[in-house]
Amino acid sequence: MSELKETLKAQIIEQLNLEDLTVADIADDAPLFGEGLGLDSIDALEFIVLLEQNYGIKIADPSEGKEIFQSVDSLAAYIEKNQ
Amino acid sequence: MNMYFIHTIASISHQDSFQVPNVFEQLEKLGDDSDIVSPNYKEYVPPTALRRLGPVLRMGLTASIECRNNVDADFDAISVGTALGCLKDTEKFLVTIHTTTSDFLSPTAFIQSTHNTIGGQISLGLKNHAYNMTHTQNNLSFEVALIDAMMCVNEGKQNVLVGAADEKIDFLAQAQPDLIPDTHPLTSGASFFVISPKKGKTSIGVRDVYTNFNATNSDKDIQNFLSKNDISTDDINVILSSSEQSFSDKQETLNYLDYSGMHYSAPAFALHLAHDYLLSKDKQLALIINDMCPGRLGLTLVQKQ
Repeated sequence: MSELKETLKAQIIEQLNLEDLTVADIADDAPLFGEGLGLDSIDALEFIVLLEQNYGIKIADPSEGKEIFQSVDSLAAYIEKNQ
Repeated sequence: MNMYFIHTIASISHQDSFQVPNVFEQLEKLGDDSDIVSPNYKEYVPPTALRRLGPVLRMGLTASIECRNNVDADFDAISVGTALGCLKDTEKFLVTIHTTTSDFLSPTAFIQSTHNTIGGQISLGLKNHAYNMTHTQNNLSFEVALIDAMMCVNEGKQNVLVGAADEKIDFLAQAQPDLIPDTHPLTSGASFFVISPKKGKTSIGVRDVYTNFNATNSDKDIQNFLSKNDISTDDINVILSSSEQSFSDKQETLNYLDYSGMHYSAPAFALHLAHDYLLSKDKQLALIINDMCPGRLGLTLVQKQ
């Protein structure tokens, strides 16, 4: 699980062009949107692409996104459950 | 005779041209391995916005913000020229379409890949809701944007932002000479200006612009353009051309592509050169000849009053 989280952080940094951040800067439980990394709705679309391209997971119900994309912890848990 | 006075200039190029008093001070002919001289974009654009901006957007937005800072007034209109637009994002988007097996495509590259993204980002970055137009006319994109800006001034607008930006990607080299001429090394650049009907710190401005998309006799076009402005060839002090144009030994001549490199917004950099040439010398008239593509001629007359 911790290896998956580290991989996810690297993928998030690359996919979202977070050029000033390193893997170490993203806490597992830190909010990704709002006051956390400050991501926005376009980034949510990028997460959907990231999950499908890297893990073969399609989010059928977009309303699930808010919960899934809350943090690296929640993303990793969702991937483990659905892969 | 209308004059469109240049109040400020911001150029990002392969020269040291950003925030310099006169670009001629450190002007050098470019070699094959020159690189863009970038300002610190983070001083102009918040990191959250900057991460989504490709090179041409960073250059265009930063140059525009610098112009805005220099004139300390909101723009009444924004007119942007770009020939090839946001090439890096376009390439990324097309490559993804071609290679991906996913049902979804990354939205950012698509959103940022249209030509008018440059003007749009300038508008968003400056929170400016005025007239905003993008002109895409190959090597004449800047001249057409300039004509639009001059018409905005004619309508009564006081501070009009006009400029052009283009970026290179590796693929362009493979597309030469069909897509872009191969006479000079491929480069990137953005030059933006604020023009106004009122004199600024200097009395240098654009007097007239001419374009011909089906030019069969450039010499005749040039003569007609000068005659229309009651100017003889001997009145011109310097010719800045994209070839080796000259009328006689009475003018200084320079090929601006030697200093900008090859990109279709180079004529905007030539206007920066013409302005700074007239600024530093006791000369009055500069003629920019954009003939980098056969059959498409652009002429810009720059004057110090």
